[in-house]
Amino acid sequence: MLAPRARPLLTTFFSTPRSRKGDTMTQVATPAPRVIESRARRSRFFEKLAPYGFVAPVSALILVLMIIPIAIVIGFSTFDNVIMTPESNFTGLQNYVTILNDGTFYIAARNSLFFTLGSVAAHLVIGLAFATMLNTRLLSPLIKAIFRALFILPWLFTVAIIAVLWRMLLNPNGIINYLLISSGVIDVGVEWLSSRDTALLAVTFINVWAGYPFFMVSLLAGLQGIPRDLYEAATVDGAGPWQQFWNVTLPQLRPIILSMVILDMIWTSQQFALIWLTTGGGPINSTEMLPTYTYKLAFSTYEFGLASASAVIILLLSMVLAFFYVRHQKVRD
Amino acid sequence: MGVTRKARDARARVWVLAGLVAGTIFAAFPVFWMLSSSFKKNSEIFAYPPQIITEGFSFEPYLVILTDPVKLRFFGNSYLVALSVTALTLLVATLAAYAFSRYRFAGGKTLNLIILSVQAVPPITLLVPFFSLMVTLRLYNTYQGLILTYMVFTLPYAIIMMTAYFNTLPRELDEAAKIDGAGPLKVLTRILVPISIPGMVSVGTYTFMIAWNEFLFALTLTRTEDMRTVPIGIQLLMGQHSYEWNEMMAMSILGSLPVLLLFLFFQRYFIGGLTSGSLKT
Amino acid sequence: MNTKALRSRGRLALLSSVAFMFAAAGCAPAADTGTATDTGSESASADEVVLEFAQWWEPELPEGAFRGLMDEFEAANPGIKVELLSGPYSSTKEQVVAGAAAGTMSDVVGLDGAWVSDFVKQGSLADLSALMDSSSYDQAQLASQIQIDGSTFMVPVVNFVYPLYTNDDLLSAAGVAAPPTNRTEFEAAASAVSGDGVSGWALPLSLEAPNGIQNDVMSWVWASGGSMLKDGQPDVTNAEVTSAIEFIKGMWDGGSIAPGSFTMKEQDKLEEFTNGRAAMVISSLSHINLIRESNPDLNFSISALPSVDGYSGKRGIPYASWGIGVAENSENKDEAWKLVSFLMSESTNQKLSSIANAFPGNTTAVPDFVQGDELFGKAFEIYQSGFPANEFVGLPVAEELMRLFDEQFQLYLEGDSTVDEMLTAAQEAWVAKF
Repeated sequence: MLAPRARPLLTTFFSTPRSRKGDTMTQVATPAPRVIESRARRSRFFEKLAPYGFVAPVSALILVLMIIPIAIVIGFSTFDNVIMTPESNFTGLQNYVTILNDGTFYIAARNSLFFTLGSVAAHLVIGLAFATMLNTRLLSPLIKAIFRALFILPWLFTVAIIAVLWRMLLNPNGIINYLLISSGVIDVGVEWLSSRDTALLAVTFINVWAGYPFFMVSLLAGLQGIPRDLYEAATVDGAGPWQQFWNVTLPQLRPIILSMVILDMIWTSQQFALIWLTTGGGPINSTEMLPTYTYKLAFSTYEFGLASASAVIILLLSMVLAFFYVRHQKVRD
Repeated sequence: MGVTRKARDARARVWVLAGLVAGTIFAAFPVFWMLSSSFKKNSEIFAYPPQIITEGFSFEPYLVILTDPVKLRFFGNSYLVALSVTALTLLVATLAAYAFSRYRFAGGKTLNLIILSVQAVPPITLLVPFFSLMVTLRLYNTYQGLILTYMVFTLPYAIIMMTAYFNTLPRELDEAAKIDGAGPLKVLTRILVPISIPGMVSVGTYTFMIAWNEFLFALTLTRTEDMRTVPIGIQLLMGQHSYEWNEMMAMSILGSLPVLLLFLFFQRYFIGGLTSGSLKT
Repeated sequence: MNTKALRSRGRLALLSSVAFMFAAAGCAPAADTGTATDTGSESASADEVVLEFAQWWEPELPEGAFRGLMDEFEAANPGIKVELLSGPYSSTKEQVVAGAAAGTMSDVVGLDGAWVSDFVKQGSLADLSALMDSSSYDQAQLASQIQIDGSTFMVPVVNFVYPLYTNDDLLSAAGVAAPPTNRTEFEAAASAVSGDGVSGWALPLSLEAPNGIQNDVMSWVWASGGSMLKDGQPDVTNAEVTSAIEFIKGMWDGGSIAPGSFTMKEQDKLEEFTNGRAAMVISSLSHINLIRESNPDLNFSISALPSVDGYSGKRGIPYASWGIGVAENSENKDEAWKLVSFLMSESTNQKLSSIANAFPGNTTAVPDFVQGDELFGKAFEIYQSGFPANEFVGLPVAEELMRLFDEQFQLYLEGDSTVDEMLTAAQEAWVAKF
């Protein structure tokens, strides 16, 4: 394993930055012992408070703007209906029972699972592949810059446009079918989004296209943080490019990859607009997902109590994931 | 000797270029089609067989948008909100990520869990309570309301990612600075942040994109035309009975061009930072 | 790059953006003082009333036309100003719900008939009957009123009727001389035309916006005087609905319906017709000018929806309206009603229906386009000789009812159920909602 050997290299780099950068560090005369001690005690106190100070802004913001509405939603889930009725009655966990007894909920959950896992896996592979290619030393910076700009294009557009665009492309009489028929891959146009067999795959593909730049850009940044000398040392050891990728690149990127995977899983499971605007959960229920299911409860049947219960169930499922992630976060020493 | 390094490099270069070209087709073809559609007449967009350039080729959709002050205001609002959100989120997230990465403090893990979990609530169910809250706080139909809302959406991501980037930087860096007498804030701003520029740029990019592309809360939290953003402008072209397809595409392209330019400008920071700067070049 | 420069530049950039943001945000309230804090309407000056009118109509009408009408109203009613708040149609429903819940609902709102029942249940709409009584309004001039439990909550301002459009070139090329008048002729025409990239009929069954069930499916029932309700309760298992469903299935199996049905929306259906790929569609009257503009070479006609063979009674013609209502928590209900009655007055209603290419909600108004234009004239004839039919208006959770029916219908078309199973399932689902 390369990592242990990398450490001495790292310390060589990072222990001398100051002198290399030419930073001015004045030499201070050592003060008296008592002054040092009280100074140390004071700084220890501030040191203890420091992290709380650093997380204060975000805590305040999230507490006020998110915790309160979320608490309201959780509250809503225990009433038989809210917002759309003049009076609501407290029903405890009844809404949860109703949802968990609904067959459509499980269909939605199953589709969501496929959609999420498929999207995240594809995002990771494509993002990694593109980032690695964009990080190569074999091409000039200008060429790499051009390709970087091209690869980031899917990110620039709002979901409504992406949905409209892909419905256009995947139209039975659209350009994709036209190209496939002209090149002889298929004989007759496929109803990509309108057929039960292909709709889920099509929607997943669209989501992969729309979301891979996130992985690509984050990984590209992460790749910058891998010291070149690790690769040099690996080459000296006789490792080929593929082995270097597995043994140097991936381990170095691990914390970033883990974070991205968990974030993307949570986001993808929330993806509503893309599915709603392309297929509306259809045909029949082949692209029904937890978010579309929740939306219909809220704004089609106007059952906000049930919708809130559905939301809380989704939240709990995601929190399980989040919990495992938080527990395994480690700083590299 | 067998194959020279140069020859191997040349072969590898071909493979990489091939991969990049394939990737470009995947990434850019739909956008290319969007561009082509923006020049067509509405009726030609769905013609079969599809054509790249049609008889009705014209710049009219672009002109309609560029000469409409209402639509230009949409662009302005979007940029203002997105830039502000990016700057503030980076500031707040970097501070918090530093705490999560470098400190073990009571409630740290719980707070981390909460921050991560708040993203897991379907926004559509949050809509009504959140909206009522914003009205109560008198942030309805204001820039501040939108900015704070987007910050709340993007902070979990920004904090997680910045924490992860900080986690890749060994503690030896901190120690070295602390020995020299630097306090926690100095360690952050003078040691960690400069090295994390690529990470910050990538986080900033995504934060910008989220704020830029968001529709539902932009629509709900704004009331008057002078506060609305580009995604709303695009959806206004999606009528009850028919869509203004070419104008929608044109508006999308127009809106994304400056964002692309911004990205091109900030690209160089992806290859900045301590490591490649200080290594033997 | 020198890290020191980077560092200080980075910090400077951050600080300046923050400062910029606060400066900008500080400028922002100037743009909306007096509007950001109050809910509903508020006074701009001492006696002036500002009405907020939330709708999706302005962007769909010619530039400045709707604002022009509002200016007319303001001139005729000194002391009242109208602020137009336009939003995308597809999000209107959620915005009204959110606005009503948060107390920011506009005084006057544009409505779709499918939402009325639920908004009344929420208590967000004002009782217009009471307003009409208190202002002694002559209700005879209103072509229709949407009522729940005897009180009016929405008035249709203009009606978009949905006649049958036929591509005459495609039909005559297939040997069909005239637009079909009954179901047999329709089915024959559809299959005669189909083939080689062209379909006889386009049927939008998207589950996102399931109004295809209203305009393209149930319309067949109403065109033959049938009904999907009985005494206001669901009755989809009856003979008329069954025959309409089987009729469509026949064409589906025969291959004369355009591909992509299950996710096709109304806007896509129009494009299929305009591009000459669908020979017949049931579409909104407002599309006549759209089609003429986008494809001037297309020869098409308007006709009534075909009925069951041998039916000679009045034919129901499906419609969707731009409806109007007043918010229950509005502080200016009387002024709001003035705006509503202005829009319903003969001259204004006539103007509005002319620019919207719709039929008036005022009984005596006649839109400009009717005279002198053959197609529009024909449509008006059909409208007057039949009756507007849309049984979904005023039903509870109307959109969800359409969606439930749509899901069952898709299963049936795919061959997963029989017509009786499908209709029974739909009936059960509907009854649960009533």
